[in-house]
Amino acid sequence: MKVKFRTASKTPRPIRLSEGIRKWAYDSLNGKYGDQTMLTPCVVLDDIEDFHLLDNFDKYDISIRRIAEQAPIRICDEELISGAATFGNAISHVIPATYNGKIWSYSISHLTIDYEKMLKVGINGYEKEIDGRLTDDTLTEYQVRFLLSLKSTIESMKIWHRRYLEATKESKPEVYDLLLRVPFEPARTFHEAVQAIWFEFSFVRLCGNWPGIGRIDYLLGSYLKADLKEGRITLGRARDILASLFIKGCEWIRNESLGNPGSGDAQHYQNIVLAGIDSEGIEVTNEVTYLVLDIVEELPISDFPISIRVNHKSSERLLRRAAMVIRHGGGVVAMYNEELVIHAMMNDGYPEDEARMFANDGCWEVQIPGKTDFCYMPFDGMQILNQVLGICEGQQISDFQSFEELFEAYSNRLNSDLEGLYNAVTRGYEFKDGKWVCRDLGGLPSVVSLFEQGCIENAMPYNELGPKYTVRSPHIGGAPDVANSLCAIDSIVFRDKLIGFKDLMELLHNDWDGNEPLRQYVRNKIIYYGNDDDIADSYMTRVVDTFAESVRSIAATHADCPIKYIPGISTFGRQIEWLDSRMATAFGYRKGDILSGNGSPTPGTDFSGATAIIKSYCKANLELISCGAALDIKIFPETLAGENGIQSLKALMKAVVSLGGFFVQIDVVDADTLLEAQKHPDDYRSLSVRVSGWNARFVTLSDDWQRMIIERTTQSI
Amino acid sequence: MMNKITESDMILPVTKIQRFCTHDGPGIRTVVFLKGCPLRCVWCHNPETQLIKYEFFWNENLCIGCRMCMSVCEHNVHIEKDKQHIIERSRCVGCRKCAEICPSGAIENCSQDKSINEIMSVVISDKVFYGKDGGITVSGGEPTVHGEKLITLLGQAKRQGINTVLETCGYCDPNIISSLAELVDLFLWDIKDGCDERHMENTGVSNKRIIDNLKLADSLGVRTIMRCILIRTVNDDIKNFETIAKIYRELSHCEGVEIIPYHTFGCSKNITLGREENAHREWMPMQSDISHAVKMLRGMGVKIHKH
Repeated sequence: MKVKFRTASKTPRPIRLSEGIRKWAYDSLNGKYGDQTMLTPCVVLDDIEDFHLLDNFDKYDISIRRIAEQAPIRICDEELISGAATFGNAISHVIPATYNGKIWSYSISHLTIDYEKMLKVGINGYEKEIDGRLTDDTLTEYQVRFLLSLKSTIESMKIWHRRYLEATKESKPEVYDLLLRVPFEPARTFHEAVQAIWFEFSFVRLCGNWPGIGRIDYLLGSYLKADLKEGRITLGRARDILASLFIKGCEWIRNESLGNPGSGDAQHYQNIVLAGIDSEGIEVTNEVTYLVLDIVEELPISDFPISIRVNHKSSERLLRRAAMVIRHGGGVVAMYNEELVIHAMMNDGYPEDEARMFANDGCWEVQIPGKTDFCYMPFDGMQILNQVLGICEGQQISDFQSFEELFEAYSNRLNSDLEGLYNAVTRGYEFKDGKWVCRDLGGLPSVVSLFEQGCIENAMPYNELGPKYTVRSPHIGGAPDVANSLCAIDSIVFRDKLIGFKDLMELLHNDWDGNEPLRQYVRNKIIYYGNDDDIADSYMTRVVDTFAESVRSIAATHADCPIKYIPGISTFGRQIEWLDSRMATAFGYRKGDILSGNGSPTPGTDFSGATAIIKSYCKANLELISCGAALDIKIFPETLAGENGIQSLKALMKAVVSLGGFFVQIDVVDADTLLEAQKHPDDYRSLSVRVSGWNARFVTLSDDWQRMIIERTTQSI
Repeated sequence: MMNKITESDMILPVTKIQRFCTHDGPGIRTVVFLKGCPLRCVWCHNPETQLIKYEFFWNENLCIGCRMCMSVCEHNVHIEKDKQHIIERSRCVGCRKCAEICPSGAIENCSQDKSINEIMSVVISDKVFYGKDGGITVSGGEPTVHGEKLITLLGQAKRQGINTVLETCGYCDPNIISSLAELVDLFLWDIKDGCDERHMENTGVSNKRIIDNLKLADSLGVRTIMRCILIRTVNDDIKNFETIAKIYRELSHCEGVEIIPYHTFGCSKNITLGREENAHREWMPMQSDISHAVKMLRGMGVKIHKH
C-alpha cells in the first residue's frame, strides 16, 4: 500500500519524492529509528580507573572518544547522506556515557551552532586555528587544557568519521566519496555541503546536545546555485538530498512518545529559519528555501520547527509557498517579522550586520547563531501579581486605594524580582585582570564549543564567556493574564465600584466561592486582551512596557558586564505546570483553569477572530521584547480551504509585518484537535467554527453537532 | 422637502459583525449581518435575522438563577412561576435591560442598534488585512430591506477604498438594483429553488422577482456568484438544476454557482428564540449528493465556484 501522510487540510499533501523515500520518511516519523536508538542507551566507562577522580576535561574527552568509537553505525537504504545519532540517552539531553551506572554530565541545548565556517574551512581548518592559538604564551593553563580538549574532540570526530567511511565504502560509494572530502575539508558542491552540515549536526547530537540548524537556505543557497548553473544537479535530485537530512532528523522520534504524530512540536530543538536578509541586507531566499518548503509540505515533519523571516519585500512566491504548508497544520511554518526583530536586537547593542543574521535557539527566542551562549529564565507574572494582591496561601490580603497604587506595587515587586534574577545570573562572573571571567571554571562541553565562534579565539568554553555573546533572558509568563486581571480589577473595583478591593481579594482567595453572579459578570461583560479593544489592550501594553523597561534599566546599571540581560515573553507550556501554584483570577477563572500561553490571549477570552488577536498582540511595543514574544493562533481548517485560504494566510503574514508583530505561529486545528476539544472543552473555549453564514464556538455546541463538524473536517466538498 | 438625515444618524440592527471571514467573498472579509428578511425559509439557519424588531436569545443552560432579569424588567417578560423561569416574549418592548444585566450570557441581545459610523469603525479596523481582495460583506437576513441605509453603508465603504460584497436573496424592489450595482463589487446571489411552486411553499415568496432582479443586475454589468442551497429530497432534483443552469447561461457576468449543502447548524437557535426547532437531519445532503449535483450542473455548462 502506498504511503499517505495526514493533513489538517482538505487539499492532500503533494507527492514529489519517490515512494521509497516516502516510505523511509513514514518509518522514521513513526518511531522506527527512535525505538532502535533506545536499544543502545550509552557508552559505559566503568573500566576507566578512578574515572570519578579525573577533572572534567579528561572525563569529557574520554567520554566523547568512546562515544565516537562505539556508537552504533546506522545506514538507511534510501539515505543520500550519512551519520546518525544512535545513543538513546542523547534523546534525554545528557552525555550518553555512564560511570558506575550513572550519567555523569549534562549536555547543551538552546543554541544554534555555526556551520558557515565549517563549510568554508573544513574541520581541518579549525585544527590549524587551534594549533595557532596554542602558540600564544599568554594563555593560562586552563585555556591550554581547553584548547587541547577541542583537539581531542576533533580526534574523536575523525574516529567516528573513519567508521562511516568503512561502512559506506561498499554499500554507499557515493556517500563514501562525499565523506572522503567533508566535513574535514571545505565543501565544494551542494551534496557535499548537505553532508557536511549533517555530519557536524549529528555528531554534536550524538554527544547528547540539541543544537539548532538555523539558516539552512543561507548556508546552502550558493552551493545549489553553482551546481545548477554548471548542470551538476537537478532540483529534483537536490530535493531528494535535502529530504535525507529532514528524514534523518526525525531519527529521535519514538513510537511510544507519539501521542500526536506529525504535530510539529519542537521536540529536540533542531530549528530551521528560512528566508530574510543576510548581513549585508540582501535577501537570502533561494531555491533551497523552496526545497525545504516542498519537503515539509509533503512530509508532516514534526521534529524540525521551521520559521520564515518575513519583511515588507518578501516575495509573493515565498508567502504563497509558506501558506501552502501552513494549511496542512501542525504549526509549521511559523513567521518572524524580520524588520522588527532586527531593530529589537540592535536596540540591545548588537551591530546591524550581526542582528541581520539572527536565527533562534530551539523554540523561537532569537539569537546570533554560532556566536551565542544563551539561557532563558522563566518566571510566572501571575505569581508576582498574586503576591502583590496578597491572595496566596498564608498571605495577608492587601489593600489598595487606587489602580495606580496597585500598579506601582506590582511593578516594584516585578523590578525587585528581576533584580534578584540578574544578581543570581551575574554572581558567577567577575572582573579580574582586566577582563570578565567565570568565577568557577568547570571545563565542559567542548563539542559545542568547537562550533561556537569566540571559543577558540578566547580559548574559553561555551558557558564560560567563550562565545562572542552571552545572553541571559528573563521570560515573563502569564503576561496576558496579568493584563486581564488588572483590567478586571480596574473595571469592577475602581471604576464601576461593584465590589470593594478587599472583598474581591477574599473572593479570589476563596476561588470565587460565594459570588457567582459577579464571576459571570467579569467573564461575560468585560472585554479582555485579544479582541482589538483599545482599553483592554492598553493593560497588556502597560504590562509589556513595564517589564521591558525594568529589565533594561537593570542591565543599564551594569553596562560594563558583558552578559546581555534581555526580556522575553513566554510560557512554553508552563501554564500547565503553574496550575497548582496559581490562584483564582479577577477575570473570573478559578484555580486550576488553564491560562494564557506565551503572548496569546487567555483561552476563552478572545472571541473576535484571528485578525483581532493579531491586532491586539501587535499593539504592545514588541520591539522592546528583544528576546521574543510569541503569538499562537489556532485556525479551523475550513477557514483556510482552497485558494482563498492561501490568500488569507498571506494577508495575515503581511499584516503581522505592517502592524509590528514579533513571532506568530498559526496552527490549523484538525479533526484530532477537535476530538480533544470535545474531551477537554475548558482548554478549547475560544476555538470557533465557521460554516457558511453562521459561526459558533466549538465547545458550546451539542455533542452530536460537534460530531457533525468533525465529520465535515474529514470530508471534502 | 424631506429632512436629510446625516449618515451618522442612520441606525441599523446588526446581529453580528464577524471579522476574519474567508468564505463570503474573496480575501479576508468582515461580514456585517443585518436583521430583517422578507423570506421565511423553512430551512433558515439564521432565524434571529428574520424579524427586524428586537429579540433576545434565552439559553437556559447558561442561567445561574440570579433572577436579575426579573428585577429589571418592567413589563413582566421574565417571571417566576412554580420556581420556573417563564418568558412572555409578547410583552417585550425591546428595552434590552434583561440582556444587559444578565451576568452569565443566558439572555443575549440578538442584535445591537449600530450607527453606520460604528459599523464602519469595526470594518476599517481590519483594513490592514484586506489587501487588494478582501473587504466588507453585508449579509443578513436580507440587507436590501434596509434600502437607503444599506446604500449609505456601502457608499461609505467604497469611499474608504474597501471592496464590497453583498449577500442577497434578491427579493427586493428592482429600483434599488441600479444604486447597488454602482456600489457592490460582487453579489452573492441566493437562488434557493428553481421550482417556483416549491419556492412559494418553502420561502413564502415567488422566485420570479429574485430571478428578474438577478438578470437586471447582470444587465448592469455586475459580477455575481449564484449561491444555491442543496436540500436533500427538497430541491435536489433535475428541475432545480435545470433552472439554475438556464439562469446561469443567460447571465454575462456570473462567475459561477456555489453549492451550499443544507445543514442543521443554526436550527437550535430557534429554541433560544422561543420558537419551534426546525432541524431536518434527513435534509442534509451526503457527499454523494453533493458530487451528483456538481456533476449535473457541470454537465449543463455551469461553472462551479469553490471558495
